[in-house]
Amino acid sequence: MTATISLPVPERAKRRPGRGRAGGSHHAGYLFVSLYVVLLLLFGVAPTAYALYLSFTEAGKPWHWAGLSNFLSTGRDFRFVPAFEHIAIYLAIWLTVLVVLVLFLALMLHGGARRVVPAFRFLFYLPGALAGSASVIVWVFMFDPELSPWHFALALFHFSSFPQVIAPGHLPAIFAVIAFWTGAGGWIVVMNGALNNISDEVIDSARIDGANAWQLAFRVKLPLIKKWVVYMLILAFAAGTQLIVEPTIVASASLGMVSPFWSPNQLAYYLATYNDNFNYAAAIAVDLLFVGLMAAALLVFRSKLFELE
Amino acid sequence: MKDNSTSPHRALLGRPRRLFSTLAATGLAVSTVVVGTSIMSAVPAQASSSPITLWVDSARLASVKAWEKANPSVKLDVSTFDAGANGSGSIEEKVALANRVGHGWPDIVFSAEQNDVQKLGYPPFSFPAVLNGGLVPSSIIKNYAAGALAPCYIGTKLECLRNDMAFDVLWVNVPLMKQFGYTIPTTWQQWQAIGESVATNHPGYIIGTLGDSYSDAVYLQAAQCHLNDVVASYSLIDNPNDPNCVNIANLLDPLMKDGSVPATANEFGSTFAKQYGGKVLMDVGPAWYSTAIFEGTGSVLNSPKGTYEAVDPLTWAGSKHTWTGDVGGGLWILSSHLQGAQAQAAAKVLVGLATSTVSQDQSEGYPGYVPAAKSWIAEQDASGLFATPLAPAFAVAAPEVWPGWSQTPWDVFGLWAQNVTPNLVAGDTVLSQLSVMAGVIKDNAQSEGFQVKS
Repeated sequence: MTATISLPVPERAKRRPGRGRAGGSHHAGYLFVSLYVVLLLLFGVAPTAYALYLSFTEAGKPWHWAGLSNFLSTGRDFRFVPAFEHIAIYLAIWLTVLVVLVLFLALMLHGGARRVVPAFRFLFYLPGALAGSASVIVWVFMFDPELSPWHFALALFHFSSFPQVIAPGHLPAIFAVIAFWTGAGGWIVVMNGALNNISDEVIDSARIDGANAWQLAFRVKLPLIKKWVVYMLILAFAAGTQLIVEPTIVASASLGMVSPFWSPNQLAYYLATYNDNFNYAAAIAVDLLFVGLMAAALLVFRSKLFELE
Repeated sequence: MKDNSTSPHRALLGRPRRLFSTLAATGLAVSTVVVGTSIMSAVPAQASSSPITLWVDSARLASVKAWEKANPSVKLDVSTFDAGANGSGSIEEKVALANRVGHGWPDIVFSAEQNDVQKLGYPPFSFPAVLNGGLVPSSIIKNYAAGALAPCYIGTKLECLRNDMAFDVLWVNVPLMKQFGYTIPTTWQQWQAIGESVATNHPGYIIGTLGDSYSDAVYLQAAQCHLNDVVASYSLIDNPNDPNCVNIANLLDPLMKDGSVPATANEFGSTFAKQYGGKVLMDVGPAWYSTAIFEGTGSVLNSPKGTYEAVDPLTWAGSKHTWTGDVGGGLWILSSHLQGAQAQAAAKVLVGLATSTVSQDQSEGYPGYVPAAKSWIAEQDASGLFATPLAPAFAVAAPEVWPGWSQTPWDVFGLWAQNVTPNLVAGDTVLSQLSVMAGVIKDNAQSEGFQVKS
């Protein structure tokens, strides 16, 4: 897409595509992906297959076909619908905030003075560099009016105690805030990398044609990194539906004021461990896989993500 | 004496985390199995000559070590874990994994969750051994305080031994009561009247709390409220319109509103000492609040020596019998996967840990086994931490735990904290929350296969 001028292609290369030296790198490619493939099979595909097997068989009866009964039983569980409702509200908030703010900050960064870019890139990345659960604990302190350095900001919302802050209605937004600050930095860096890939010629041509900074960002840069945004959405959606660390830690910090089955993943965990029903847990895990795959498929086909240019 | 079985220190769990891959959406349940399998298979199967494996929390280590020293011929293999405290479900989790692979069960396990046997005693866990069929002598069972073994019974089968008792008493700040000129209340109604006077004359001081997960047992159980009463196998009475429930709710609501029993006050919250240090005039709470909350280094308030005393539980004006609530207390469980001589040997260790003076003198709570309790309380009162000896009030309260608030497979404390406390904080009345609590208890009971009546 960035190749605006067609260069003369050497004759030999034209005659033997994918042969000779190119064939050698072909084999090297397999070597490079082999380690990943082995790990993927062991820790991605095999567990998925096992979950599918468990979800369609009866608890305590190996290879006893259960049809859809595990899915129907978990679907009728009184905790199932609330858990998916919670996660839907959370995703709506989080994905919107993620896309809007990540793109905004990445475009600002790219449009800004080149001298300060590395400093800001580092700054954005910093909160995400804290290990997952540790950063959630930091946020627990931030949200406690008695302990937070930003208690005056919480006071603006009339919050004077931690239980008020984590009222059930506030939880999706709170988890979205935590997830954004722990995860967005990495995406800003990725988007910044994607923006840096846009050739200067394209940007210069747009400038010569009279595009202002706004048009440059939304008419030129954004369409060129569209696929990266889709890629981010697919991964963020899958990660978001699997939310478990945030509610678990906030539940501990609040001495149990958050349900242990707030999210579907927590419910699956609860059913597997506290009810010893791995088949029910697997059914919920497969539900999540299905939702994640559907969302991914929709985004891939709508955006033509895998089409070569 | 601080009882970690109901400790405020909820471990910050980092167990499961989000998996950053589309395919790994299924990972959670499965990785639990895979990881769990490899851990459990590292545990050797029990052989008749092997030491007795024992899982306890760190608070119980002193008891175990003292008993081990007194019985050097017995070989123990001790591991520490969280004992399932605060509803973590870690015993269920580990038993579930051991059940899947067919080995790896501990021989003896200490549970900090009073309702654990009601979960572990049913399929698919079926973990505890029945103790009153010959493994534990009936002379031992007879020497337990009345009601102490109630959480251990499934029908007529005794499936654990109680470690410590957790009956509620009234905790009183003696100098403050004198300074304000109040007499110690004996009824809930007198207690309420003091609360209303405190709200007017001494705002900021409190006579109880409604912010912790124990409020259900502290108030509803003491009032004989039938919200969680198992009356027969798989049969539960859950009635939010029970006059006993309504009465206690009506008694509490004005106090919550005027701030003398605040919904935001939680003894285990990180800021309780900062907010209420020196301002807790009275508090209704279990025996183990003694050095967990009020007195001694390491307690939440760490009050000057001789500030607090325990007095008899509050009664209902006009009622013939005083009943009180029950907040925690640990359980000793024996594995049903032991046979013959190995089972007998492990049962002896179980009895030793739960009842011997050498073990129970190290207990952090009031022992359920009467002879051990006598020795324990004498030692506590010799310390002089409290304004008056604890023994008289504890002796009165121990047999007064109301049996109509049952131990069930679901964690009632957790359900209260998740579903009721946030609403109380938001300004709802206790009265309005009775039906909320009854509803979640009903949902949980039905999903466990119980018949629910009101």
